[in-house]
Amino acid sequence: MPETSPKTVTIAKRRFELRADRVERALRQALPEPIKSHYVVIGQRRYPPKQAISLLTGLDRADFTTHQARRILTGLGFPAGRRSGQAEAKAPGSSRRHRTPAVRPRPSAETLEPFVGQWVATKDADVLVAAPDPRTVVGWLAEHHQQADSMFRVPSDELQASGAAPW
Amino acid sequence: MKHAFQALPGHTGRARPVVDLVVEGLELAPQACLLDTGASEIRMGRHVAELAGIDLGDTHDQIVVAGLQTTGHPASVQLELRQGKESHTWAPTVYFCDPWPWAFGLLGLGGLDPFLITLDAYEEWVELHPLHR
Repeated sequence: MPETSPKTVTIAKRRFELRADRVERALRQALPEPIKSHYVVIGQRRYPPKQAISLLTGLDRADFTTHQARRILTGLGFPAGRRSGQAEAKAPGSSRRHRTPAVRPRPSAETLEPFVGQWVATKDADVLVAAPDPRTVVGWLAEHHQQADSMFRVPSDELQASGAAPW
Repeated sequence: MKHAFQALPGHTGRARPVVDLVVEGLELAPQACLLDTGASEIRMGRHVAELAGIDLGDTHDQIVVAGLQTTGHPASVQLELRQGKESHTWAPTVYFCDPWPWAFGLLGLGGLDPFLITLDAYEEWVELHPLHR
């Protein structure tokens, strides 16, 4: 991310100078915690807004609200969203028809796109966690008391996906 | 138990028939396995055994998966297939392989013995009916 201009924000009566590029760099080593509802997308990963602001400022999470954190981060240019409910989940595949009832949704190709080459744990249509190795993924699930539906490595090419030929 | 295919990003072709198997000791992270009627056995990466705390012993075979030679350690492991309130548990031999560069485990014919399978590639789902035999 190119160097960005700083933005001064006040949280819990304290002033902080935040820059989007530094925010992204600071969160690179932090795995996102489970998303309950709101999230912001930083470095192609979804973070709970309060986790991000707490990591960036060192403030206790009780010192600010989710909406305040979300507003600050979107003000820096990071997209925000809300976790999709099952009813909103995209059906698997992109071009095929899906009339099949009672099938648990899986993440769409678009949802998996940022995680190519990484190990992911998924639940319904969402990615719970992504990491470079499977041990980190399982460690994260255990630490956060999460139950995944599925764990796999997002393939980077046809060969990894199907095992059709050696690399 | 009906399972949707898994769509994949980028240039990875169409969605794949994947089912998620709960490996004993690794219940919180069911392992996605590609349903592969061209494979004879169930094969997963060795890391799965390590994460699940499965003792692999000294027995191993040199096997070839899709043209790649790998070392497979056989172990009798309890697997579970879940879908909602339905569940089927069985204990086949799984080969835990190293190296394992693939994205998924492989659910080959040896893992399909307990099931009658219906696959609809157009609608992108696969259904496994436990046969209890």
